[in-house]
Order: sequence, then structure tokens, then C-alpha cells
Amino acid sequence: MANDANKVKTVAEVVQTIPDGAHIALGGFAINRCNIVVSHELIRQQKKDLTLSQGVVGLDTDLLVGAGLVKRCIMGGGSLDRFGPVHCINRARETQPGWSHDYSSLTICLKYLAGALGISFIPTKCLMSSEVLDRLEQFAPDDIRKMKCPFTGEEYLLLKALTPDICFVHVQVADREGNSQISGARWENEEQAKSGKRLVVVTEELVPTEYIQRNPERTIIPGHRVEAIIHQPFGAHPSACFDYYDYDADHLRLYVNHSKKKETFPDYVNKYILGTKDHWEYLDLVGGLKQMNEIRAEKLLGY
Amino acid sequence: MSEVPATDTEIMATAGARELKDGQVVVVGLGLPQVATVLAKRTHAPRLSALLEIGVINPAPIDTAVGLADARIWYKATCWSGFLDVMGMNVHRGVVDVGFLGALEIDQHGNINTTLLKNDKGGIRYFNGSAGGNDIASMAKSVMMIMRHEKRKLPTLVAHLTSPGFVGGKSRKELGLRGGGPFCVITDKAVLGFDEETHSAKLVSLHPGVSLEDVVENTGFTLKIPKQVPNTPLPTAEELRLLREEIDPKRVYLGKEG
Repeated sequence: MANDANKVKTVAEVVQTIPDGAHIALGGFAINRCNIVVSHELIRQQKKDLTLSQGVVGLDTDLLVGAGLVKRCIMGGGSLDRFGPVHCINRARETQPGWSHDYSSLTICLKYLAGALGISFIPTKCLMSSEVLDRLEQFAPDDIRKMKCPFTGEEYLLLKALTPDICFVHVQVADREGNSQISGARWENEEQAKSGKRLVVVTEELVPTEYIQRNPERTIIPGHRVEAIIHQPFGAHPSACFDYYDYDADHLRLYVNHSKKKETFPDYVNKYILGTKDHWEYLDLVGGLKQMNEIRAEKLLGY
Repeated sequence: MSEVPATDTEIMATAGARELKDGQVVVVGLGLPQVATVLAKRTHAPRLSALLEIGVINPAPIDTAVGLADARIWYKATCWSGFLDVMGMNVHRGVVDVGFLGALEIDQHGNINTTLLKNDKGGIRYFNGSAGGNDIASMAKSVMMIMRHEKRKLPTLVAHLTSPGFVGGKSRKELGLRGGGPFCVITDKAVLGFDEETHSAKLVSLHPGVSLEDVVENTGFTLKIPKQVPNTPLPTAEELRLLREEIDPKRVYLGKEG
């Protein structure tokens, strides 16, 4: 416990260390465990020219794109499920050809896996004979190759490894060393988190290490890989955090009503992000304790 | 009992369910594929394994989910993992029998578009993109698709080829793809299949009350039509009861009642 105290940081402290132009990977999926705390703070600090990567892009990345912070997106797909499309991301894709490098869920995950393993590329049989591949060859020619297997002669597509400058992942439970446990489905969380040059965890609950030691098989990220821990209850709101709270359907509808049009999106950013100094103020503004209690997960269901 | 006649969507969901066989491993996209798969599991295919790309295997949901990111669809699963497991070590590994997908557009060779649509003035509107769609269409042993039957949604060639079927009428081997490609398209008017030689779409059956002219008029490409066209069987009373009372009582995916 000697050197752990300085690992727990505020999101403002962490975001201050991110330079403009950085490649950031966020751990959300559509409307689940989105890195809302991080996105909000990046917007408050007005970071510029970011590259964002994510398997299935969600609310966390859509916010950053809508606020104009992102110069490039590397993604597998994305939506806000039945609440609607990722309007801000789709608008950027419509107006700037080549702005996004579009892969698939598995191929993004494989690119992170290569990064996490410390290898520079990884072969796959996906994306062959598709326009997804044609477009990558056009807009990301340095990230794609084809090769015949030296053992069998079979043709493979080679994907260049992704090694983000900094990865964020929202987890249910972490200790002060960063040992992090995730419950429920976890998409590409592990491969992504371990692919970056830096890794910061945002946790719902900060627990003693003894709690982690009760079920060490649940630890997806061991503490020695974690640079900093941000402790923020309801930090994924209005997206869901399994076992802790459901998505906030009313707020998601409100978000989509603003994100639908370029003209109305700044109203959302001004009111809910720039108009609040931190996530606690944001939570008060979106309904406070009463609303958080409304969306709190039922113990048996987890949602 | 279910006196109300089956709607188009209920016929679609049931036709989808009946294409699935007991014991198969199926990777399922959200929406009607999910509804049809749950119906198959609760009727003739209890030992079917259903995989969701996000990292969920064999859930038994009791509430209707708004998408894969909604934990309602993770409920009572036998496994929670992630993309690398479901899409990598199952789909890419080649152990998935059926990929069951929705689409924005499907063309005559079973190519799928889930990325963008173009309007008459050349404007482009983006949608979800591939997500797991390309991985599944490339690698599953067979692919079944489900989509509304409209002329603009069934063009000769998709506006964006997100996920390959028999591109240019070529065989999967020629295309360098391991998976077997599409075998079935279920619409709200008919069931389509693919000709073994030309790899072009053919009519398999018409839903009851739908005329051949209606299908031909609302298909953007030339369909191969057999001499005798059978009718798609109607859902049974039990299938309708399961759909309406247990699987999607709020009609999130089934839509309006008859």
C-alpha cells in the first residue's frame, strides 16, 4: 500500500496529460459502459485533432465527434441501439470521405489484439471481397496488406496493429492498484485496454484489494498495467453499467433529439457538459439521486 | 387463443425459425433474427446454440431488449465473453452453422449492405456499418437474411457491399472466402434462395395471400421462378402465442398487430 495513493486521480488531472492529436481508445459499446466521464472532460478541456478508435462506436465517441474534437475515427460499426444512429459520427462520415476507417467488430478487435500481444500485424480471413476492404485500401493503404500463408499458400488479409496512445475502460470494480473486474459481456474491452501505451480505468466502485482477492478470476485487467484509476459512480450515465444501473432511456432520447441536427447539438454540449464543472454537477442536472435511483439495477436482473 | 390472423412480420419470424435446425450453432443479429431464434429454441430446436457478437451465449431473456448493448438480452446466458471468443474463436474458427442477419439492402447475389444508402441526387446517408456483419457473412457455414420486401431494398447491386455473398456471381472459393455464403432470404412477402450454378436469387415460396406479380414487381432484380411455387406455411397457433405472449409482448420487433 506504499505507492498506491497517487494512482487514484481525478478525470481532470488525467485529461490534462493528453496532448492534442492523441489517439484515444474508448471502451464503450453503443449504450453500455461508455466512457462518458472521460468524453465530457475532453470536451471541457477542448482537446483537438484526436484520433478515436472503438469496436462498436457508442455514445462516448459520438459526443466527442459532435463537439468537433475528432479528426479521425477507426471503427467497426456503431449505433445507439433502438434509440437511433450515432448521428454525429454519421454526419462526419457523410461530409468527409475517408474521415472514418471502417472495419468490422472482429477485425478491430484483432487489431487491438495484435497491439496487446506486441506484434505489428495479424492475419484474418474477414473483409475479403468486400467494399469495406476496397475503402480501406483507398483511405488507409498503409494499414492493410495481403499475403499468402508461407505454410499453406492460402491468401490472408493482414491488419496492422492498433496501439492507441491512451485507452480508457469503464469497469464495475477496481482497487487502488487498478486491479479491475468487469461483469456481464465485455466485447473488446480486454484486447483494447491492453493494446495502448497508457491505460486508465474508470470505476463505479473503489474496493479494497481483499475484495478483489475473493474472486481473482473476475480480474480482466491486473493492476500493474494500469496507470491511473478514476473513481466515478454513475460515470457511464446515460449509458448502462451492468449490475449497477440501466441506461437512462429518457436522457438518451433527449440526446438523440439534439444530436439529430448539427444546429441543435451545441445546445446539448453547452447545457450538460460545458455548463457543468464536473460529473457530480452533471448528475445533479440530469435528475440527481432520485433519477439515479430510478435507473438502479435490480439485483436479480442486473439491469 | 390466437384468433387474430398472423401478420406479415409474424410469418417472417416463423419462417426464419423453421429454417433453423435443432443442435445448430447460430450467430444472431438483433431484431427479427433474435425473435426468430428464440421461437426456434422454444419450439423444434431446444438444443440450438445462440451466439451474440458482444460476447453472450444462449441467453434466455424475459424482457425485450433495445439492442445487443441492452443487458435484457444477456439474461440467464450460459457464457459472457467478448468479440474474440464469439466472433474470433467461434465465427472465424468456422464452427458456426448459420449466421442470421438483417440488412438495409440485399442484392441478387446475396451481398449485404448495412453501411449507407444513396438518394437520387447522389447524397449519401450512413447507417451502422458492418459491426459483426462482415465477419459473419465471410465466415459462417451458411447465412440467412431477413428484411422487408421492397424494390429499392432488393437492387441488382447493393449501394455498398458491406458483407459478401456470391460477389459477381462467383463461388465462395473463387472469392477467397471460407464460409458457405447465403442460402436464404426471408421477406414479408416470400422466401428466396440461391441457384446452385448461377448463385443468383430464386423464389422458394410465397407467403399466403401474396401474388407472384406482387413479388416480381417489388424485386429490383430478375428472380428465377420455379414452375410450381409453394406457399410458405402459416404460423401455428402455438407459434403465434409464443411470439405474442412470451417473446415480444410489447411488439418492439413484431410491429403492429393484425
